[in-house]
Amino acid sequence: MSNIKNPTSADAAREQMAPQLPTTSGKPKRSMRRRWYSGPLGKAVVWLPLAALVLWTMGPFLISLSVSFKQPAHVFSDPSLIPDAPTLDAYARVLDRAGFRSALWNSVVIAFGSLIVTLIVGVPAAYAFARFRFRGRHFLLLFSLLPMLVPKVGLMFPLFLLAVKVHGFDSRIFLILVFTGMLLPLAVWLMVGFFQAIPRELEEAAAVDGATQLETIRTVILPLSIPALLTVAVLAFREAWNEFELVLALTQTADSRTLPYELYLMQDSTGLADYPIQNAFALLTVLPLILVYLRIERYVAEGLLSGAVK
Amino acid sequence: MAGESTSSAASAVRIVGWQHPWIAYLCSAPAMIIVALFLGFPVLFAAWQSLFDISPLSEEQPFVGFGNYTAVFSTPEFWSSLGRTGIFVFGVVVLGLTLSVIFGFALNRVVSGLRFIRGIAILPYIVSSVAAALMFRTMFNGDFGFPNQVLEFMGFEGIPWLSNGFYAMNVVIFAQVWTDLPLALLFVLGGLQTIDKQLNEAALVDGANGWRSALYISLPLIAPQLTLATVWLSFKAVTSLGTVLALTGGGPQDATQLLTLELVRLGFDEYDTGTAMAMVIIIFVLNAALTLFYLGLQRKLGTK
Repeated sequence: MSNIKNPTSADAAREQMAPQLPTTSGKPKRSMRRRWYSGPLGKAVVWLPLAALVLWTMGPFLISLSVSFKQPAHVFSDPSLIPDAPTLDAYARVLDRAGFRSALWNSVVIAFGSLIVTLIVGVPAAYAFARFRFRGRHFLLLFSLLPMLVPKVGLMFPLFLLAVKVHGFDSRIFLILVFTGMLLPLAVWLMVGFFQAIPRELEEAAAVDGATQLETIRTVILPLSIPALLTVAVLAFREAWNEFELVLALTQTADSRTLPYELYLMQDSTGLADYPIQNAFALLTVLPLILVYLRIERYVAEGLLSGAVK
Repeated sequence: MAGESTSSAASAVRIVGWQHPWIAYLCSAPAMIIVALFLGFPVLFAAWQSLFDISPLSEEQPFVGFGNYTAVFSTPEFWSSLGRTGIFVFGVVVLGLTLSVIFGFALNRVVSGLRFIRGIAILPYIVSSVAAALMFRTMFNGDFGFPNQVLEFMGFEGIPWLSNGFYAMNVVIFAQVWTDLPLALLFVLGGLQTIDKQLNEAALVDGANGWRSALYISLPLIAPQLTLATVWLSFKAVTSLGTVLALTGGGPQDATQLLTLELVRLGFDEYDTGTAMAMVIIIFVLNAALTLFYLGLQRKLGTK
């Protein structure tokens, strides 16, 4: 029970005996407040789902990690979770692949490119939607809902044909623009909510002090928006980093192919499945995101929620 | 004091001056144009192209009206892949909703350490569909996969997870739910956290137990979030490509050949652009219809 301290949630979970308790007003007596999860069975009811959640989430990671530390030949002979002879051989082979290095570079360029363009284009748009009264304002909802109406898998062909027409096929710049198009709706939606939450009086006060509108935005709005911009940046980066469908449709050569596509191709090219190298590759593509994510998980969780629930 | 009021009046004038709509249009135009170009236009283009018989082999692109649609509807591959997509979406929604409700209620009980466990729960969100698929391919390997090791340890036969059509569909559903559960779980948890605790307390005072309070008070109150989670899980399942493609490639024997894989086969393997475009529109319509169905279901259950 050490982790369940919230008295209100404890109240909410009182036992069937509750009607006999003096609960209508005042503080009920401590000793009377038996909780349904106070017995060993009750504790299991709370902790089993949490244990299952952690196992469900971490299981694939741990198994993947375990296999990535084995020699290909040992995968079958030594199926235990903790390898007998752990080796970094698979990681060395991944890093040694020219395909991995070029894909990594492409992923970095495209992910940072998309997030920068998204912010540069998205911030003014969000500010306009949040602060100005103009007719286009009414498009905001449609604009934000578009990605839910238009799945990426349906965009593969039309965008492929468009890319061929404008000589954007297999080009990183075209990919950046396409990703920006995919990211903008969520980014603008999140930032509009955030800008609207900033009191107008702050801007007026800055104006009273003689700041121009641009100075106000730069010195008042943007510094206050850093958490929102960070959230948007992380979500945009993740989206661009992990995108598979559109990369599959819009790239052909190693010049613009990103990590997920390279990983997908590698499992074909290794012939007989080389599990350690596949898992090492998969984990290496996740690693940068995990490192970023661990630092700003709160922003991600709350950003996702505010984007979804508002 | 008087000076201040005049200067604030002046600033009001200046802010009003800034309210010129053309500035707003100018600010939002780039975003609008990029989104229209890459999200809006392709759909209209696909709808238009689906009315023509387009093939890279011939110069002519005759107008065929709904010919491509009837061509799609007349192939047995379409109906079998639609059926498999139906099973897949149903499995993902049922498993995803069940898990997000169970995990959501459990997480809602946690007070200290919530951020830590929630942080772990969201981890799959940052894994790409291909990487997740490869992890699941390793995990469900018939020879050394962990579930089979457990089964064999307990004295059962190992299950041919990826070489049997029925089990392969299950593995694909697991993988899909694994990648998409975090957001659904966050929706449910967010809903639960907005519930006024006093409502549950009142139910308890009236003699309900914890289970009944959860079932009759909490669940109806988070109906909007449950609908949102359903729409999200279903949307992701209908349009899932990377997970299935990297995990089974549609196999074994087409057992996991979903509509989206059929779309890729038509477009990129057979270069049948017109028919592929018709398929794109069919997938859009299917998605929209399912979303409307869930919203209608919520309304119907709500009025009861």
